[in-house]
Amino acid sequence: MTTLAPRKRSTRLGGPSVGRPGFVWAAPATLFFGLFALFPLVLVLVLSFTSWSGLGDPKFIGADNWVAIFNDPILFKSLGLTVLFVVLALVTQVPLSILLGVWAAGFQKNRAVLSAIYFIPLLLSSAAISVLWRALLDPNFGIPGQLSWLFGDGNLFGKQSSAIGVLTFVAMWQFTPFYTLIFQGAARAVPPVLYQAAEIDGAGTVSQFFNVTLPQMKNSIITSVILMVVGGLTAFDTVLILTNGGPGTDTAVTPFYMYQKAFRAFDFGQASAIAVVLVLAATAISLVLVRVSGYGKMQSAQEGI
Amino acid sequence: MKNRRNPWLMRVLAGSAALAVGVTLAGCSTGGGSESRPENEVHVAIYGDATNKVEEQIVATFNETSDVKVILDKIPGAEYQQKLQTIISTQNAPDIFFNWGGGSIQDFVDADLLLPLDDFIEEDPGLKDNFLSSVFDTAVIDDEAYGIPMRGTQPVMLFNNKTVLADAGIEAPATWDELLDAVEVLTAKGITPIALGGGDQWPTLMWFQYIYDRVAGPELFKDAIAGDTDVWESAESKEALSMLRELIDAGAFGTNFDSVKFTDGGSPALLRSGKAAFELMGSWNYATQQDADLEFAENELGYTAFPEVEGGKGDAADIVGNTNNFYSVTKATRYPDTVRDFLKLMYSDEFVEAQLAIGNLPTTTNTEKFLDTAANPEYSAFQFELVKNAPAFQLSWDQAYPPAAGTPLKIAVQQFFNGQIDADGFIAAMQAL
Amino acid sequence: MRTRPNYLAGLGSSIWLLVVAIPIYVLITASFQTQQGYASGGPLSLPSTFTLDNYVNAFESGFGGYFVNTFIVTFSVVGLVLVLVPPLSYAIVRGNSRATRGVFQLFLLGLAVPSTAVIVPIFYMITNVGLYDNLLGVILPTAAFALPVSTLILSGSMRDITPELYEAMAVDGASPLRTFFRLVIPLSKGGISTIVVFSALQAWNGFLFPLILTQSESTRMITLGLFNFQTQYGVNVPALLAAVMLSMVPVLLVYLFARRALVQGLMGMGGK
Repeated sequence: MTTLAPRKRSTRLGGPSVGRPGFVWAAPATLFFGLFALFPLVLVLVLSFTSWSGLGDPKFIGADNWVAIFNDPILFKSLGLTVLFVVLALVTQVPLSILLGVWAAGFQKNRAVLSAIYFIPLLLSSAAISVLWRALLDPNFGIPGQLSWLFGDGNLFGKQSSAIGVLTFVAMWQFTPFYTLIFQGAARAVPPVLYQAAEIDGAGTVSQFFNVTLPQMKNSIITSVILMVVGGLTAFDTVLILTNGGPGTDTAVTPFYMYQKAFRAFDFGQASAIAVVLVLAATAISLVLVRVSGYGKMQSAQEGI
Repeated sequence: MKNRRNPWLMRVLAGSAALAVGVTLAGCSTGGGSESRPENEVHVAIYGDATNKVEEQIVATFNETSDVKVILDKIPGAEYQQKLQTIISTQNAPDIFFNWGGGSIQDFVDADLLLPLDDFIEEDPGLKDNFLSSVFDTAVIDDEAYGIPMRGTQPVMLFNNKTVLADAGIEAPATWDELLDAVEVLTAKGITPIALGGGDQWPTLMWFQYIYDRVAGPELFKDAIAGDTDVWESAESKEALSMLRELIDAGAFGTNFDSVKFTDGGSPALLRSGKAAFELMGSWNYATQQDADLEFAENELGYTAFPEVEGGKGDAADIVGNTNNFYSVTKATRYPDTVRDFLKLMYSDEFVEAQLAIGNLPTTTNTEKFLDTAANPEYSAFQFELVKNAPAFQLSWDQAYPPAAGTPLKIAVQQFFNGQIDADGFIAAMQAL
Repeated sequence: MRTRPNYLAGLGSSIWLLVVAIPIYVLITASFQTQQGYASGGPLSLPSTFTLDNYVNAFESGFGGYFVNTFIVTFSVVGLVLVLVPPLSYAIVRGNSRATRGVFQLFLLGLAVPSTAVIVPIFYMITNVGLYDNLLGVILPTAAFALPVSTLILSGSMRDITPELYEAMAVDGASPLRTFFRLVIPLSKGGISTIVVFSALQAWNGFLFPLILTQSESTRMITLGLFNFQTQYGVNVPALLAAVMLSMVPVLLVYLFARRALVQGLMGMGGK
């Protein structure tokens, strides 16, 4: 390290401007992103006021699409389903991942081996996982067929309750390893001195978990919740491959309903309107979550040590 | 630090090189092509399933004597209509494409994307005369011919597993009441009476098509699709629905049918393995079963017409299904002559023999000559008589309606079967189409 | 950390082990069985037959081509990200202007834009410029949507470089360009590996864009190939699962040889 002559410590703001990158460094990426991610946002709003079937050009029709979707009971059903899935995901994945992550943070040998196995679902794509589970859950030739004492007639995809159950379970199977990793890292980062202090105060394992481990993992938990919520609002490949929105429209979450409107019924105008609703919902929820959790201020969990 | 050799500069340069290479490769490696299609190629978009064997054979034959090559693009069946609609007005549009006539090409005709085939027919009258007119007319829209039949006619029949029936001591039902009796016997033995690929939704639709025909006659649907939605509330309509409800409640379809599909081989496998006794399916089921288990298809697969409903308005000889599949031509095709010559093969002897060999029944006038050469002459002869003698041949509802109505129609059908909506709910859904 | 055995946790983790391991067991064993063997024995039984036909079948049905396509897309997406993101992150971390600060906010906002929601306009744009059914049409949007997270990761990594080092370069009269190549890149190795893995995974496992924007066999990618296989081979589970196994192989190889980078890339958080 070179030693410096005593000098005011340079910060990002208000330091010498010599040798600093200008906007031109950021320009290519910004343009590219603007073109493919931001411009479509504007476009989807525009398209929501048109009627387009994929043949020919979009025709401007005013607010007809918006009137139609606000009178569409299936849209509201899909919004309800989307919220339901997000809540189910939070309720199943967060506790499980925290517990597994904390457990895996231990340094015992066997935990490393098992962790490696737990990791495998992360190697598979969403499509692969959905295809795998569709095959596994075939009522006649899959696991329900073989274990009919457990599964009854195996009609998992024909009833709303079990279809939702299957989707929630597959999401849990797919994403728990991911969140476990996050929490494992967070749990490992907890300074041992805190545990020692707690032990001295006479706290048992459970008490230490709730009073030391969890609070120290606050940032990771919040991040994970945000990821789960945003992810849940937009996940649709699993629904497409596993249940196809069925039975009927019972698992048609909003992103899936939008896909159906666009690429099956060829009503791109209405699909765009639904997409706008999705974007607004996702943005609003993200903002609320960030505000409520104080994430923006990103306080260090280790303040005060 | 300043003097250290900088391997990461290398990395960045490598990354850029990778980008350049990748982008170039990507631009060159496409089949669809971003610029114009390659020269001397005619693309045929086809529904991907077990019947493709014949289509491939015909294409191979044609390419032997043609400079302009025909290329078959197989699109997986479950997504066929969507993918077709997506590409048909773009540069990737096929020259020729498979369709079901009727509503499936109505939108394209309206958007002026299809080439009327009357000119071809003038040059070669055989393109029309060699086909059964009732079938050919399904692809005539606004008095112009838009399609040439290219597979076989596909009436829907009641298939059965002969062994299962023999074991249960019953015969294939000839009337609705006999069907109900058979269901009772089979459920007592723990066998699912009827295999149903409810997950695909359109196999369920077939039951509606037949029961409505038998009870109310073919006129009801004809009126409904012409715009008279009140017919759905008629007494016959309600009776058809209540009979169907009776059949469902008797356990005829088992309980897990919505988790089973036809398109991935699920319901045929049920029939084949003896877990079910019957399956109501289009005649292509023979090819499907043949593909999976030749021995089963030849010896144990039974087939009958749909049972009669005593006292119903419909003729017991009416059939439903796909009158045929058609090849239509897009206006943007660059090689109309090649297309015309290719289409001529659709009534050739080779074509007829190949289709019969997989159990399909072409609708050409020379078919009768070749019935004996069919893979299963009995099956083909049966189909032939069925179609020849049918007073009415109703096109599958999801093809008769334009595609936009397809999803709500199939959802209503599925929801009625699994009890989510009742007869009134179904009627309301149909009236909203 | 606690060293006393925690029985409840042990029980829980064993149950979870079964939940994870059983499907994997079926996946592996089924892919080597014949269809009859699988159908008669059921998924959970010990395999009674052994065959490599399913894998051969997968390749004969076009999987080789799908691999090539997916490699091309992955390669190109990573390349694009490597070219676009480091300069961007550098500008965000060290830039002093309103513009560069605004850019950071922009990309943060971009995190909340789900690709599913803008699929219709992207479809419209791609078809109108003639890139439908072209791998480039998949590469560009995939790379674009990998940018926000990659930027976040790499900016975090660059921010870890202490300001004194930047100062030192500035004192020596280094231009931003020189600073970039001599200081920033070498010290951001970890972040760069992470974003390489992250964007590669986005491309390799991407499903939405290939589904909507490609169609023919010649542009099909692995994920879409699996979806189509399900239609063709649904009941022939061994054939289907062999294809699933194949899709996993490259990622598995990366896991075995570059585990840390993979984990960090997956977590998308640069190990924070």
